[in-house]
Amino acid sequence: MSDRVLPLKALAKSGRYGASTSAPSVRLQVLHPMGLVTVIARKGKSKSVQRALSNLQDVTVMDAGIDQWYVQGPDKKLATTLKQQLAETASVIDQSHGRVTLRISGPKCRAVLAKGTPVDLHANQFAIGQSAMTTMAHVGIHLTRTADDEFTLSVFRSFSESFWEWLTASAAEFGYHVS
Amino acid sequence: MLIPCPHCGIRPVEEFTFLGDAKPQRPQSNDPATMDQWFDYVYLRDNPRGLFDEYVHHSGGCRSWMVVTRNTETHEIKACVPARDYKKKQS
Amino acid sequence: MSGFRLPNGGLIDRNQPISFTFDGKKYYGFKGDTLASALIANGIHLMGRSFKYHRPRGVITAGAAEPNALVELRSGGRKEANTRATMVELYEGLEANSQNRWPSLNLDVGATNSLGAAFFVAGFYYKTFMWPKSFWEKVYEPIIRKVAGLGTASKEADPDNYEKAYAHCDLLVIGSGPAGLMAALAGARGGARVIMADEQFALGGSLLFEREEIDGKGGLDWAQRVIAELAVMPNVTLMPRTTVFGWYDGNVFGAVERVNDHVAVPPVHEPRQRYWRIFAKKAVLAAGAEERPLVFGGNDVPGVMTASAMRHYANRFGVAAGENPVVFTNNAYAKRTVGKVLDVSDRKIVNVSGGKRVTGVELDDHSHVACDAVAMSGGWSPIVNLMCHRGAKPQWSEKITAFVPPNVGEAFVSVGAANGSMLLSEALREGAVAGTLKGKAPNIPSCHDETFVITPFWHVKESMGKAFVDYQNDSTAKDLPLAAREGYEDVELAKRYTTTGMATDQGKLGNVNAIALLAEATGKSMAEVGTTTFRPFYTPVSFGAFAGHSRGHHFQPVRKTPLHEWAEEQGAVFVETGLWMRSSWFPREGEDWLAAATREVLATRNSVGLCDVTTLGKIDIQGEDAGAFLDKLYCNTFSTLAVGKARYGLMLREDGIVMDDGTTSRLAENHFLMTTTTANAAKIMSHIEFCHQALWPDIDVTYASVTEQWAQLAIAGPKARATLNKIIDGAALDDMNTPYLAAREITILDGIEARLFRISFSGEHAYELAVPADNGNTVARALMHAGAEFGITPYGLEALSIMRIEKGHVAGAELNGTTTAGDLGLGKMMSTKKDYIGRMMATREGLHDANRQCVVGIRPVDVKDKLHSGSHLLKRGDAPSMTNDQGYITSVAWSPMLNMWLGLALLSNGRARYGQVVKVFDGLRNIHMFAEICDPMHFDTKNERLHV
Repeated sequence: MSDRVLPLKALAKSGRYGASTSAPSVRLQVLHPMGLVTVIARKGKSKSVQRALSNLQDVTVMDAGIDQWYVQGPDKKLATTLKQQLAETASVIDQSHGRVTLRISGPKCRAVLAKGTPVDLHANQFAIGQSAMTTMAHVGIHLTRTADDEFTLSVFRSFSESFWEWLTASAAEFGYHVS
Repeated sequence: MLIPCPHCGIRPVEEFTFLGDAKPQRPQSNDPATMDQWFDYVYLRDNPRGLFDEYVHHSGGCRSWMVVTRNTETHEIKACVPARDYKKKQS
Repeated sequence: MSGFRLPNGGLIDRNQPISFTFDGKKYYGFKGDTLASALIANGIHLMGRSFKYHRPRGVITAGAAEPNALVELRSGGRKEANTRATMVELYEGLEANSQNRWPSLNLDVGATNSLGAAFFVAGFYYKTFMWPKSFWEKVYEPIIRKVAGLGTASKEADPDNYEKAYAHCDLLVIGSGPAGLMAALAGARGGARVIMADEQFALGGSLLFEREEIDGKGGLDWAQRVIAELAVMPNVTLMPRTTVFGWYDGNVFGAVERVNDHVAVPPVHEPRQRYWRIFAKKAVLAAGAEERPLVFGGNDVPGVMTASAMRHYANRFGVAAGENPVVFTNNAYAKRTVGKVLDVSDRKIVNVSGGKRVTGVELDDHSHVACDAVAMSGGWSPIVNLMCHRGAKPQWSEKITAFVPPNVGEAFVSVGAANGSMLLSEALREGAVAGTLKGKAPNIPSCHDETFVITPFWHVKESMGKAFVDYQNDSTAKDLPLAAREGYEDVELAKRYTTTGMATDQGKLGNVNAIALLAEATGKSMAEVGTTTFRPFYTPVSFGAFAGHSRGHHFQPVRKTPLHEWAEEQGAVFVETGLWMRSSWFPREGEDWLAAATREVLATRNSVGLCDVTTLGKIDIQGEDAGAFLDKLYCNTFSTLAVGKARYGLMLREDGIVMDDGTTSRLAENHFLMTTTTANAAKIMSHIEFCHQALWPDIDVTYASVTEQWAQLAIAGPKARATLNKIIDGAALDDMNTPYLAAREITILDGIEARLFRISFSGEHAYELAVPADNGNTVARALMHAGAEFGITPYGLEALSIMRIEKGHVAGAELNGTTTAGDLGLGKMMSTKKDYIGRMMATREGLHDANRQCVVGIRPVDVKDKLHSGSHLLKRGDAPSMTNDQGYITSVAWSPMLNMWLGLALLSNGRARYGQVVKVFDGLRNIHMFAEICDPMHFDTKNERLHV
C-alpha cells in the first residue's frame, strides 16, 4: 500500500513567516491525510440521509449544497464505510485525494479570509459549525467555522499550491506560522 | 449586484454565471410538426425593460441553478427561486 | 523657514521637519503638510502648466478637486503621474516633478500654444488636421501623440504589492466632518458595526480648517474627542486615507485605502494600496460641499484660489497664500477669509494681472488693486457624485444656488453640506438622525451658526482675457456659447465638444459653472440644462489596486496535475491549457519539440508510452435514472451500456451543433463515470447541473466532479499490457478479462485502488489507469520501472496530437462550435429513438446540406511540403477569395509513421472528394501549394493495432 503524498509538501514548510510580531496572529496548518467524502441524497431520501449522517461518530458533517454534504474524518476507508451505511439512499463519492484541507486560526484569521471572500465571517454572522461554499482568490472553496477563531477550508487539489501562495501572501502582514 | 441565493444567502454577482431568459420552456415533443416551437425555444428572446426572469447558476458557490427575477432598469432583485421550483410554477 | 509659513498655528508638527525635492531642488516642510502646502510655504506658487495653452498654474484648492497642481510623484517603477499635490502627504525623501513642460516649468516652450489660441478654441480637433489626408498618419498624429497628455507613466515594473479585501457593516459613513462624526457616533453607540472613511489622512473634515465652535469648545477639539471615543470601540473601523470611489448595486461601495502611499517604501509585508468592496446595510454621505470658482479674466493665474483653500492653507497648514489677498465672492462664507472683500453685488474683478504670480486685479470701475493672491468664491456645490452613480440625477436648489443630491431611498442618505444643508447645526443634527439605527439619537451639541447668503452670479461678462471654466482641459467662458451656436446644446454634447469636465478631475470645480454658461447661452434654466452623467470613479484609482494579487505569475490561479512532479523529473516542457499546466513534450539532450514528439510517437507505437491525461473532466453520475439521464445528454445511447464497459459519446448543443465528446463507462447498474475534454470540463458540469435542475428536476440522478480525485495515465503501445501486468494485483490482463472498451475496478501495487479502462486515443492497444491522486507520482514511477525493459517513454500533448491526427480522431480543432455530428463523420451516432439535447434542431435542413464542410484527411502532393493549420482550401484553378473558399485545414502533424506532413480539414462536400487535388492557400505566410483529399484515417486503416 503506497503512502499518500501531500501536494503541498514542498510549499507548506513549518516555521514562522511574514511580519515579525511578538506573537504571530495567524496559524496555518495543512490537514493531511484526511478522509473527505461527498454524500448526495438520492431523490426523496434527503431526510433519511440527514438522520443517518447525524448519527455518525468521529466525523464532521458539513453542508455542501442542496441535499449534499462533505463528511470529513480520519483517512481510513471512510468512503467504504459510508457506502455500506447509506446503501441506496445516497451517492457516496470519495474526495479524499481530490481536495486539500487547510486550517486557519488565530485572532487575525478573519482579516486574512476577508481579503478573499465576500461572505460575512463576523462571529455573530457565521456560527461555529456553519459552512459556506464561495470563491476565494478566484478559486472555489468550501469554508467551515470550527471554533471561535478557527476555520477549515478545502480547495480542489490542483489549485492548492496557487491558493497557498495567495493565502500566505495575505497573512504576511500579520505574521503567521505554519505547523 | 447582490443575489439572494436561497441556499447560501446574499452573495455578490461575481459568484454567479448567467444563462438568460428562463421563460422559454423546452418543448416536450419530438414530432417534426413542432419544429417552430423548437426554433423559438432556441433562438427567440424578449429583451424587456423592467421585470425579467433569468436562469442564474451559483457556479462560485453551491452550484445550484436558480431563476432570478430582476428589474433590468433598476437592477432591483424581486425574487430568486431554485430552478426546479420555477419550472413547477410555469407548468 | 520661508516667508509664506506663518509663525505659529496649523496642524503641522513643527518639531518634525521633512526634506523633499521638487523639480530636482531640495526643500523643507513639516509632518502634517501636503506637498502643495509645503511648496507654497517655500514660496513656490508655479506648480504646473495647463494642458492646452501651457499656462502657468498653481493650486486652486487644498483637496481632491485640484485641477492644476499635478505632479509626477516618486521615480522608477513607483512613479505615479498626474498626482494632485494637494493630496500628497509629505514624507521624508519625497520626490516630485512638475509635468507637461519643456524644458522647465519656468521656461516652457509649450506656452507658445497661447499664441495660436484663436485656433485652439473648443472643437478645433474636429476642424483641423483634416487636410491633406496623408498628413494625418505621417505628420499630425505623431506630433499630437508627443504633446498629448500631462504626465508620463513609468515603463518599469511596479515593485510594490497591492491587495483587495471585503468588509461588511451596518453603517458606512463617508466623510469625517461634523455631520459624519455625529452619524458614526450615533451608529456606534447604538451597537452597529460602523465604518467611517475619509479621503484625508487626518479626520475632521471642514473642522480641520474652519474656526467653528461646538459644545462650547473649538470645533477641532470637539472632533478629536469624538474620534478618540470612536477609535476604541470594537464595532468601529476608522479608515482615513480611504476614498470611497463608487456606489454600486446592492448598496455595495468601492473604496481604495492608501495604506502606504505616505512612506517612501512600504514595509515589506504590507501593500501600498488596498481595494475594498464594502457591503453596507446603510450608508451616509457626509462628504461636504466643494467651493466653486468664479469665472473672470485671469482666474487661473498662480495665486488665485478658492477662499476656503486659502483658509485651509492658513488654518490647517500654517501657510499664507499671500501677504495682501483680495476676496472676490458672491456669498457670505467667503468673508471668513482674511483679505480685502469684493462682493459681486458691489464690485467685480474683470482681469487678474501677473503671469506666473498675481500682481494685482483690474475692477469693473477700471480701478486697479495691487494684491498677491485672490480668494474667489462662486458658491458651494454639494459633493453629490456617489449618490448619482446609479443613474439618479441631482436636483437644482434655488435656495443655495447649487445641485443637491437626489432621493435614492433609505439605504443611502446625505447629510450636512453634502445634503445642501449649509448650517453647522443642520450638519450635526442630520448626521445624528441618519446614523441612529437603533434606539435614541445622541444629544446634538450646541454650536454657532452663520447664515448662508448667496447672490447667484457666475461670470464677469466684461472680462476680455481668458476666463477659465475647466482648468485642467483649458476650456473657457467663450467655449460654452460656441458649443451652443454649433448645435451642441445638450449638456452631454457640450461637455464633449468643449471637453469641459472630461479631465482627471472630472469637472469637480467647473461643471456647475459650465451649466450656468450653457443655460445663459440657450435661455434655459439650470434645472433644464441639468448635469451630465456621474460615474465611478470619484477620483482616479490605480490599476495596481484593481489587480491586487493577480499580477504576473499570479494573474490566474495555476492548476497542476497530481503527476506534475513526475513529469518534471522526466524533463517535461509544460504548456498552459486554460489554467492547467500540461506536459507537452519530454525533450532529451539536443531535441527541439518536433524531434522529441517524433521520438515519443515512435517509441509508443513501437513499444509503450506513458501520458498524463488527468486533466480531462471526470464526472461521477449515479442514481436510478442515471442511464436515462445520460441518454438525454448524449446523442447516442448509454442506458444500454453493459456494466464494465466504456463507450464513446457525443454531446450536442440544443441548436444541434456538437458541444463535446468523451468516453463514459458503466461501473455498476446505477453508477457511471463520464469523461469530457479538458477545455469543456467545467462547461459540461454546469450543463449537467442545468439539465437536471432546470429541465428534468424530477429524475433521480446525482453528479459530482471527480477530475481531481483521480490521477489518470494513458499507457499505450504493443507492450502496454505487458507493462501493466507487472503492477496489477491478481490475474494478468488478457482479452477475456479486459477486452477492448472494458471498464474495471481493480487494485495495483499491493492494494492501491484503481480503475482500468481499455480505451485508445492513439489507435494503439492502450489503457487508461486511474489511481487516487496522492498516489499518482508513485504509480507513474512504478510504471516507468515496470516498462523499463520495454524502453517505456513518457509522451506529452504534442505526441498525443500527432497520433490522434494519424488516426483521424476529431478533437477540439474539429469540435469548434460550428460542426455537426454529420460534419465530423459521426452522423450515425445520432439516435432516432429517444429525446436528447439537440435532437430536433440537428434535423434542420441547413445542417444537412450536401455542401457543408465536413472532416476529411489531407496530405501535400509533394511529400516535402509542410501543411499549416488554418490554411484555406480552394478548387485547383480558383483564385483565393471568399466566394471561392471551400474550407480550411483544422489540424496538422508531422507523421513519423508516414514520413510526411498530414492533417485533417473541413472541406465542402468533402467525403465525395477523396482522391481530389485541391489548392492550399495560406494568406498569412503567402504559401500556395497543392494537397490531396483522403479518408481522415491516415494510418492503420483497419484499426488492427487496437487488438495487437
